[in-house]
Amino acid sequence: MNGQLTLLELNNLIRDALQDAFPETIWVVAEISELKVNRTGHCYLELIEKDSVSDDIVARARATIWSYTFRMLKPYFETATGQPFSDGIKVLVLVSVEYHPAYGLSFNIKDIDPTYTVGDLVRRRREIIEKLQEAGVFDMNRELPLPLVPQRIAIISSATAAGYQDFVNQLEHNSYGFVFHYRLFEAFMQGAEAAPSILRALDRIYAEEENFDAVAIIRGGGAQADLSCFDNFELAYTVAQFPLPVVTGIGHEKDDTIIDLVAHTRQKTPTAVAEFFISGAARFYEKLTELQKAVAERTREILESHAETLTNLADDVVHSAGKYLTDSQFRLLRLGQRYKNSVNRYVALHAENLHRFHSRTSKFATLLLRKERNYLARLGRETRFLGKSQLDHNALRLQQLEKQLPRKVRSRLLIAGKELAAREATLRLLDPQNVLRRGFTLALQNGKIIKSVHEISETNDLETRFHDGAVFSKIIKK
Amino acid sequence: MVTKKVTYQEAIEEIEEILAKIENEELDIDELAEKVKRVSVLLKSCKEKLQKTNEEVEKILGEMEE
Repeated sequence: MNGQLTLLELNNLIRDALQDAFPETIWVVAEISELKVNRTGHCYLELIEKDSVSDDIVARARATIWSYTFRMLKPYFETATGQPFSDGIKVLVLVSVEYHPAYGLSFNIKDIDPTYTVGDLVRRRREIIEKLQEAGVFDMNRELPLPLVPQRIAIISSATAAGYQDFVNQLEHNSYGFVFHYRLFEAFMQGAEAAPSILRALDRIYAEEENFDAVAIIRGGGAQADLSCFDNFELAYTVAQFPLPVVTGIGHEKDDTIIDLVAHTRQKTPTAVAEFFISGAARFYEKLTELQKAVAERTREILESHAETLTNLADDVVHSAGKYLTDSQFRLLRLGQRYKNSVNRYVALHAENLHRFHSRTSKFATLLLRKERNYLARLGRETRFLGKSQLDHNALRLQQLEKQLPRKVRSRLLIAGKELAAREATLRLLDPQNVLRRGFTLALQNGKIIKSVHEISETNDLETRFHDGAVFSKIIKK
Repeated sequence: MVTKKVTYQEAIEEIEEILAKIENEELDIDELAEKVKRVSVLLKSCKEKLQKTNEEVEKILGEMEE
């Protein structure tokens, strides 16, 4: 040793010293900052450690996973974590410290403990959630009112994704025939570019916010593993504060991503998102139908109740008027009865008075009659007395007349006899029989004596009566 | 006697008023026939309005339910 070494000699010394210092493999916690896989399948990584407070890189080292190991480790890790084995994740790796004189220090990764990464992811998620909550934005999007019928939908997806096609088909061929307006805002839906491109899409939507009712972030199927891009603080922060309700359908069944957590509504698949919009519209439509039914029903009820009221009123009026009339009639009848009773009472009262009066009158009359009778009797007696003297006088006169009568009658009879004889003689002269005997005839028609030619009727026989008979002749000429 | 300007509600109120008068016998019997006639006229007008409304409503509801 002359105090000088070649680089190789030094490097070999370092290698030997390191080999002595780290004879065993060591579990190391580190973050993957870079990751490359070459054609032969070897994986080259850069491992770093950041200061937990300042985020400055405080340590850095190269690492390799030989293809033989990498072929096994990668699927094992991804299956266990649900996370791609890529840069940006923290890992717990079993390394051997190796030093190559030409290539320097490098760690050869022999094994990975995925549980550390899982735990770290959970922690990181929790940290992001806590940061969002501290910022006061975590519930903001959820608190937005979803329009009753979200019909204008801004879609963030990749045009070629199967999930996007499913979504569009579902929307356009909904069984109700609702019409939805949608527009695609393209973005990468996986990998490191996902978060920034989704943020750009959100910016474009924000620029014409008024044209949309909701945002749908959808991604069909794809690698189950590749969800870490949605556990991004920046993206979550923006989604949470987005002025339109965000509905996610990122196509995974496992734990929600942070985007799902801050979104207004989380659905599992794009089809489910479409169904969500359709069912919202359907609910509204049903509600409208219900309201319409309710209005119709209530209106009919009101009309029926009014009709019933009218019928009742009519009945009431008929009833009341009838009752009123009956009452009035009854009252009239009672009035009549009362009147009759009063009259009867009045009459009875007066009849009694009359009777009393009558009996008084009759007593008086009897008295009066007796008086009158007495008067008459007295008058009669007086009259009789007067009449007697008169009669006496007349009787005397009669006696005188009786005495004078025979004489007067006889002289009278004598005179009458003389007059009679004279009359008899005249009568004899005038007897028609005697006249006929002297040559006169009587002309009769119908037993009636004709005293003038004018009395003669030409049609009847003329009777000519002689003292000893009669002849009938016809009138020839008049 | 019927003034066309009486609204349905006014008509109902008037009927009820008359009815109350009849029931409380505040009405002179001379007025009874006249008032009952008035009620019948009002009822008829109300029924007509109701019928008309009913028809209109059924028409609108029919259009709505199409």
